[in-house]
Amino acid sequence: MVIEHDKMRSLAARMTQPEVRGRSPWADARRRFLRNKAAMTGLVILLLVALFAIFGGQIAVWSNEELDFSVMGQVATMGQPSLENGHYFGTDDLGRDLFARTVQGTQISLLVGIVGAGIAVIVGTLYGAVAGYVGGRTDQIMMRTVDILMSIPYMFVLILLLVMFGRSMTMLFLGIGLISWLDMARIVRGQTLSLKNREFIEAARATGVSTWRIIIRHIVPNLLGVVAVYATLLVPLMILTESFISFLGLGVQEPLTSWGALISEGAGTMSYGTLWQLAFPLFFFVITLFGFFFVGDGLRDALDPKDR
Amino acid sequence: MFAFILRRLAVAVPTLLLLIVLSFLLMHLAPGGPFTQERALPPQVLANLNAKYGLDDPLWRQIWNYVYGIVVHFDFGPSFVYPDRTVNQLIADGFPVTLTYGTLAFLAAVLVGVTLGTLAAIRQNGWLDYLAVGISIGAQVLPNFVMAPLLVLVLTLWLGWLPGGGWSFSDPSFWIMPVIALSTSYMASIARITRSSMLEVLGSNHIRTARAKGMPERRVILRHALRPAMLPVVSYLGPVFVSMITGSVVIDIYFSTGGIGKAFVDSALNRDYAVMMGVTILVGALTILFNLVVDILYAWIDPKIRY
Repeated sequence: MVIEHDKMRSLAARMTQPEVRGRSPWADARRRFLRNKAAMTGLVILLLVALFAIFGGQIAVWSNEELDFSVMGQVATMGQPSLENGHYFGTDDLGRDLFARTVQGTQISLLVGIVGAGIAVIVGTLYGAVAGYVGGRTDQIMMRTVDILMSIPYMFVLILLLVMFGRSMTMLFLGIGLISWLDMARIVRGQTLSLKNREFIEAARATGVSTWRIIIRHIVPNLLGVVAVYATLLVPLMILTESFISFLGLGVQEPLTSWGALISEGAGTMSYGTLWQLAFPLFFFVITLFGFFFVGDGLRDALDPKDR
Repeated sequence: MFAFILRRLAVAVPTLLLLIVLSFLLMHLAPGGPFTQERALPPQVLANLNAKYGLDDPLWRQIWNYVYGIVVHFDFGPSFVYPDRTVNQLIADGFPVTLTYGTLAFLAAVLVGVTLGTLAAIRQNGWLDYLAVGISIGAQVLPNFVMAPLLVLVLTLWLGWLPGGGWSFSDPSFWIMPVIALSTSYMASIARITRSSMLEVLGSNHIRTARAKGMPERRVILRHALRPAMLPVVSYLGPVFVSMITGSVVIDIYFSTGGIGKAFVDSALNRDYAVMMGVTILVGALTILFNLVVDILYAWIDPKIRY
């Protein structure tokens, strides 16, 4: 035996020890996000709002369409929030349960926000990635089109669309989705331009991978961080857009409702002293927007290596 | 500079024409014509109406007439619902009102926002900074359609200080709430942008040089820091303008101020396509014009831009 016994043992021990694991950029980002108090608060708020939207219907005593005839006509005195008659948030001026209506409004507003942002993510990412990666004249034409579309006052066009093709949820999704991807396309294109000359893309090209496959398999996955940040910030913007249209009475139609429609109703009746009709929808609207903005900012701080 | 403006115009004009043609085609595609009613009109009446408004011409001729009317005579045609009124009259009624409170709101947002942001940057981490940051975070979730009811609730219903709606050119008390409701959220964004870009500029070399040669702080800020710090703010002005025009619709409805937003929503509910298109095109033209002004302003402020 030339090698010492002890040395041999210590080497063996080291080999069986678990290796110190390197931290991936994603783990770093997760750690930064978890330490960000505002972002975590926002996340908790969003979870609570989501629970409210999903399970609120089970708690509600009244459905959103029933009229409570015992309070009808005297909503200002009898319709206030109360635990006894089951109207936790009071009633609206027709005697419908505001709790059930708020649950429904929350569901629809969140749905519009998430679907709108989803369309923006899919269309915007693909459009921006193609424009950035292909480059040249294609890029010129594609981005000029975006420029032109952006200089159009989209809210007016959206309302024009809604009026001409009938007000429906599908049309609302389509209209909001139609305009929401423009910013996303610009951001993604910028990122793609900085990615496309990196070595791994060059390697893929050298081994004869097709353009479409490079975009899907190599460019898009590397954009996920940026896209996630902007998608989170897009959701509240979509909610704002929908609420704006519904506030004007041009968005979702009765018996469906949304935060914008509820705020509009509450704002119209507050001079009769029925303040709860404004307060509850407004409360959910405000905390959800706060939640999304905080989470979005937190994600940006966590994922964007520039601002460290 | 002149060539630069010309080049920008060369992009702006086709954009506007495209907007006009697109909105016309949209109207053409829409199910049901402008005279579709619950009780169907006799075919002869419908044919006469279509002939009167030129709707029986071939499509290309209709588009040509519409574009020609707007570009050459600034004439948006008749309203389809109120036969005795033209779109021009409806717009002319509301436009001065929108322009008045819109301009005031825009100035308020820019002046207060820039001042607040600059002060916050100078007193970084002081109470003024925290106040400004707090306001700008809070105002993010207070868009015009939330501010409007809240203002009425406090200033009209509780305190009774201001009229809750209506408009008068001679009495500024009618102007206050529309201006505040319209400007708050943009004021906050402008303050935030100014603050962060001001902080960046204040940390740069030319500011250190200016301070090192003993220049008074006031002059350093106003003369050397403010101009470069304004660049991000100026590029944000275009979107602010668009959102404010859009927001004016809420103001017109909620405060009954009678601006063009009212004409727009009324026509939307009446399916009066001619008025809707007229307002959309007017707003589009204003937007394009404003973006042109912003571009020129940007080129003027930033010496690095070559045109």
